[in-house]
Amino acid sequence: MTASMELQDVHKSIGNKQIIKGLNFSIKRGEVFGFLGPNGAGKTTTIRMMVGLMKITSGDIKINGLSIKHNFKEAIQHVGAIVENPEMYPFMSGWNNLKHYARMIPGITDERIKEVIRLVGLEKAIHEKVGKYSLGMRQRMGIAQALLHKPSILILDEPTNGLDPAGIREIRTYIRNLAEQEQVSVIVSSHLLSEIELMCDRIGIIKNGELITVEEVQDTNTENDHVTVKLDVDDNEKVKSILQDQLELEAKIVQDRVVANLPKRIVPQLVRKLVEEDIAIYEVAVERSRLEDKFFELIGENTIA
Amino acid sequence: MLNFISLLKNEQMKLYSRFATWSMYIILAVILFAGALIVFVFDNIDEQTYNDNWKEQLAQENEELLEVNEEVEYFGFDSEIAINEYHIENDVKPLPYDAWQFTLENAGLSMIISLFTIIVAAGIISNEYRWGTIKLLLIRPISRTKILFSKFVSVLLFSITMLAFLFIISLVIGAIFFGINGWNPSLVQMGTDGVEEVSIFAEIFTQYGLNMVNLVMMATFAFMISTLFRSSAMAIGLAIFLMFTGNSIIGFVAEYDWAKYILFANTNLNQYFGSGSPVMDGMTLGFSITVLVVYFVLFLLVSWFTFTKRDIAGN
Repeated sequence: MTASMELQDVHKSIGNKQIIKGLNFSIKRGEVFGFLGPNGAGKTTTIRMMVGLMKITSGDIKINGLSIKHNFKEAIQHVGAIVENPEMYPFMSGWNNLKHYARMIPGITDERIKEVIRLVGLEKAIHEKVGKYSLGMRQRMGIAQALLHKPSILILDEPTNGLDPAGIREIRTYIRNLAEQEQVSVIVSSHLLSEIELMCDRIGIIKNGELITVEEVQDTNTENDHVTVKLDVDDNEKVKSILQDQLELEAKIVQDRVVANLPKRIVPQLVRKLVEEDIAIYEVAVERSRLEDKFFELIGENTIA
Repeated sequence: MLNFISLLKNEQMKLYSRFATWSMYIILAVILFAGALIVFVFDNIDEQTYNDNWKEQLAQENEELLEVNEEVEYFGFDSEIAINEYHIENDVKPLPYDAWQFTLENAGLSMIISLFTIIVAAGIISNEYRWGTIKLLLIRPISRTKILFSKFVSVLLFSITMLAFLFIISLVIGAIFFGINGWNPSLVQMGTDGVEEVSIFAEIFTQYGLNMVNLVMMATFAFMISTLFRSSAMAIGLAIFLMFTGNSIIGFVAEYDWAKYILFANTNLNQYFGSGSPVMDGMTLGFSITVLVVYFVLFLLVSWFTFTKRDIAGN
């Protein structure tokens, strides 16, 4: 089975500056691939090269086996995309905006346009001018124009930018449905792990134009996974000794918190023990996934947008 | 071909979805109406019409003109006198002012159409950048070359539509104010080889056509600047500035031989028709057309090269 998209040693230089330094990875059919990195890491540049908006300095990108460099028209036919914000013509109705893009690809009927409008739930507002739409509605218009020609690859650059939590959740549901039911490969970029973690199968982390790592996203932490627990209690020393002597766990005191690394299944047992010992517990914080640790470790302070 | 027509439809839809475009038509119609009103009120048209003794009237007019001619040294009425004599000799009664003549005079308004076409040409590429829609436009299975040329052809379509609008509205407003002398009256005027009688329809067609040359050249220039700098303000400013100062520039450098290769020395093809004379010695119609074609191709090549090669980067 060929990959939906394959990046082969992709480089991009602007002037003397190397912006992308040899990217190699591929995206499988029906997979949601997260493309994560701080601002300025080269995410948008890479996405723009994937859709032919920017020229590839060296290397190539294959879409369903077709080179975007040499077979642009054939390759791009399989791709639907939103690059950055979903900008539309504000002075035209939603319908005319979609009609405009539909005319540019052969074989899209008015029926198909209506179908897509139903899919994104814009039936009511479709004959109003796009200038009057809210950001959420424009985001849906963006998805509608990307889906018109039933692409097998969907590329969404920062799709959650500027959306409220409800909007992010909605997008997440769309994307999972597309991947699972229609076997569409989806590439989502973001600079915030928390926003795409829940929708991706794999996440590639990019920094300074290089792919640092590609990680599988596990559904949830299993019982045996180790987690880091931070305890806010009234008597740090006593808790530390309970952990070390009675539960035989490594523990240390960091910033007035007792910190320990333990299998997840131990956590309830630990809490019960502390209660029995008559310790006042203000907070039990379980550190999030290994991925987030890794992300912070790799990216550091840069994550703040 | 089919999808080129689709692209044209798209461009026309975008153009006519905006009030700015319609306001251009409204402005043109208002100017035409005001012009007709001024002619109607201030020029006493009845006095200028001739009665059954029109031959005597013309003869007397010529005598008056001759007297003026003797007094004034430089500014003569030779051609008016010759035209009047032609009327008398050939027994052709001068026709009163009518919708056709009004339409012919309005050929000069193509200057305003040039202005509007420059505005449209300057915006048609740069607006896509400004709105951010260029990204969604260029990720379709259509080559950039095709998109660029559909936009250029759209600009030409706009100017032709506007020219047709000018012609039809002139004729209608003219007919309402001044009446109309049949469907194809003739006009006596000064030609290259003395006085001649021409079909007014043909004359209108020639005048509108010659003005199109200047219009197309300036629109193509604005289109190029807009593609190069992605700024419509700059393209509009530069094109309009050159349109109005072009002739003065030629005036300054006319003494040099290379001046005849400047675009503006060649855009006014009227210099080769009727009583006109070439801006500089040694220029012919063929020469001007060659120069114009070279500039035209150059402007389009520059647009094409920048548009197809450029990376669409963030703002």
